[in-house]
Amino acid sequence: MSSSSQFKQLEKLGNGTYATVYKGLNKTTGVYVALKEVKLDSEEGTPSTAIREISLMKELKHENIVRLYDVIHTENKLTLVFEFMDNDLKKYMDSRTVGNTPRGLELNLVKYFQWQLLQGLAFCHENKILHRDLKPQNLLINKKGQLKLGDFGLARAFGIPVNTFSSEVVTLWYRAPDVLMGSRTYSTSIDIWSCGCILAEMITGKPLFPGTNDEEQLKLIFDVMGTPSESLWPTVTKLPKYNPNVQQRTPRDLRQVLQPHTKEPLDGNLMDFLHGLLQLNPDMRLSAKQALHHPWFAEYYQHTS
Amino acid sequence: MTDVQVIEESATNAVTANVVENEKEAPAKSSAENNKPPNYKRISDDDLYRHSSQYRMWSYTREQLEEKRVDTNSRAVASIEEDLLKFRQAHNLIEEEVKILEAKAIPLTMEEELSLVNFYAKKVQVIAQHLNLPTEVVATSISFFRRFYLENSVMHIDPKSIVHTTIFLACKSENYFISVDSFAQKAKSTRESIIKYEFKLLESLKFSLLNHHPYKPLHGFFLDIQNVLYGKVDLNYMGQIYDRCKKRITGALLTDVVYLYTPPQITLATLLIEDEALVTRYLEMKFPSKEKIQEQEPELEPETEKKEAQNDESKIEKDDDQGIENDKPSIDSAKLLAVIMECKELIEETAPLSTEDAKRIAAKNYYCQNPSSLIQKLKRKMNEDTSAAEKRQKI
Repeated sequence: MSSSSQFKQLEKLGNGTYATVYKGLNKTTGVYVALKEVKLDSEEGTPSTAIREISLMKELKHENIVRLYDVIHTENKLTLVFEFMDNDLKKYMDSRTVGNTPRGLELNLVKYFQWQLLQGLAFCHENKILHRDLKPQNLLINKKGQLKLGDFGLARAFGIPVNTFSSEVVTLWYRAPDVLMGSRTYSTSIDIWSCGCILAEMITGKPLFPGTNDEEQLKLIFDVMGTPSESLWPTVTKLPKYNPNVQQRTPRDLRQVLQPHTKEPLDGNLMDFLHGLLQLNPDMRLSAKQALHHPWFAEYYQHTS
Repeated sequence: MTDVQVIEESATNAVTANVVENEKEAPAKSSAENNKPPNYKRISDDDLYRHSSQYRMWSYTREQLEEKRVDTNSRAVASIEEDLLKFRQAHNLIEEEVKILEAKAIPLTMEEELSLVNFYAKKVQVIAQHLNLPTEVVATSISFFRRFYLENSVMHIDPKSIVHTTIFLACKSENYFISVDSFAQKAKSTRESIIKYEFKLLESLKFSLLNHHPYKPLHGFFLDIQNVLYGKVDLNYMGQIYDRCKKRITGALLTDVVYLYTPPQITLATLLIEDEALVTRYLEMKFPSKEKIQEQEPELEPETEKKEAQNDESKIEKDDDQGIENDKPSIDSAKLLAVIMECKELIEETAPLSTEDAKRIAAKNYYCQNPSSLIQKLKRKMNEDTSAAEKRQKI
């Protein structure tokens, strides 16, 4: 167990869901860390978000998940000591904007990031943990090109049956249509939808569905993916916020939506893969493990045997 | 145990290391026909459990567990004895007082501590159930409470002051929202006393909060038994078994099996208590014993289909104390049964402490920490005796 005097607090890195994050230096080892400071509420004791994040991070030791090294307690605050990462995907993409024109990432980098994202996510799902808040801000990267999942403040463990989850999670832009329509029985597929949105955003440099409220979010999704049909998604009509009067849309060609925003040609494998993630029907979405087996990633998994 | 972990960690590292290498070389082959990466390692539920903090931090051999308790107890005994000595040196005690101190202000033994902890652990269960908390929250409360007293002595922190704290922390960590005020009201406690030791509790739990309870394996076995013994078991009967086992599991959480066996092993042990014939038949069907021939080097075996079958089995394979042997291609049902039998016996032999015994130990615990109360009690008694004697004389 470390003490707080072991770390030198440096500049502020940002605000997490329930805490402030600073860069820190471990004075004994000379290693940089991220210090997540949680104010202790004398009313409720340790906030349950912190308890949950600690609880889950203690289980998740993986290359593509940011590591929790330690927890330090001082008088009125709790400090979670995390592995330090240079940047997050949001800031990294923003930094590439030229003037007002966002630019996507090179496709081979997109693929490497997406592979790592899915590796980390597959590990979470294998451990029966949903992230529930995947977005570029929560994907941390470093100079080596590594990508790690961070901020598990909203994550939760799941078992079977999965039915009493709140529908008030996941930043709107990356929120799955089933959740937007009030589904409370969602599972791992909720994170897969977010992965699809993030993939498209990495390609073009701009968010795929930047809605400002639930209705607009759904409309933006349907405008591109088409309105859900009972034949492809039998249970959709039973969702609490299903609206039968919504204007019918046919799906647009995703490649035509994305291609104008990138110079590199988007091949059939990539488009097939993206479609696998962005299925309206949650049951039709690829699992993280299936996604890692997709031919788009062939160059990563082939070769050795 | 640690060996297994090291091997596995390096195995997962190897998988990811390959990835980076492949990326550099990027051999662009057509790939559609190959949708199972050859270097993709399937992770079994046993692998996952061995990575869990519950296994890494809270699983022991019998010797380790005993050692841990002896250690916690002897540290507390040493400090209590030091305090008692100081007390005696600071007060000018008369002979009777020394006598009563020597007779009654005695630190608890390890066994007494354990009995008291388990007595209060049962109270945790009763209170949590009374508060209508879900089964998993009740279970987590019990395990938090018992783990706390692997690290701390009842002679240093009174079990009574931790009971509500563990239940409240279990609610938070199991995502079962309840505000501290409504909790305090329902539990007839105060916010301050609930929060007071929360961090001490978190620290003692080493921030390992995610619990694997045997209820999920019970659900799995319940389904698998019906599948394996299809047409041979009555569904209503299985439903009754399920409900009874659920209760037995909660009971088992009050015993040391939680530190010595894996959740699926504990589940099988409770099933064994309910219906030994059923479990024996199930295990024999599931892991036919004739396959002893297969115990050769795994590398020599044809890959593909066999691998699948193996993985299927490893889902229900329970890692026994010699985890390394799990890499064997098949499970010896007789050996598995022997492990479960041991577990069952330990569940059955754990007898609850009577309230009188608990009171006696609690009183002893109080006196060794508060020797002055013994002296005062003695003085009061002596005064009463003398005044009674005086009264008699007057009459």
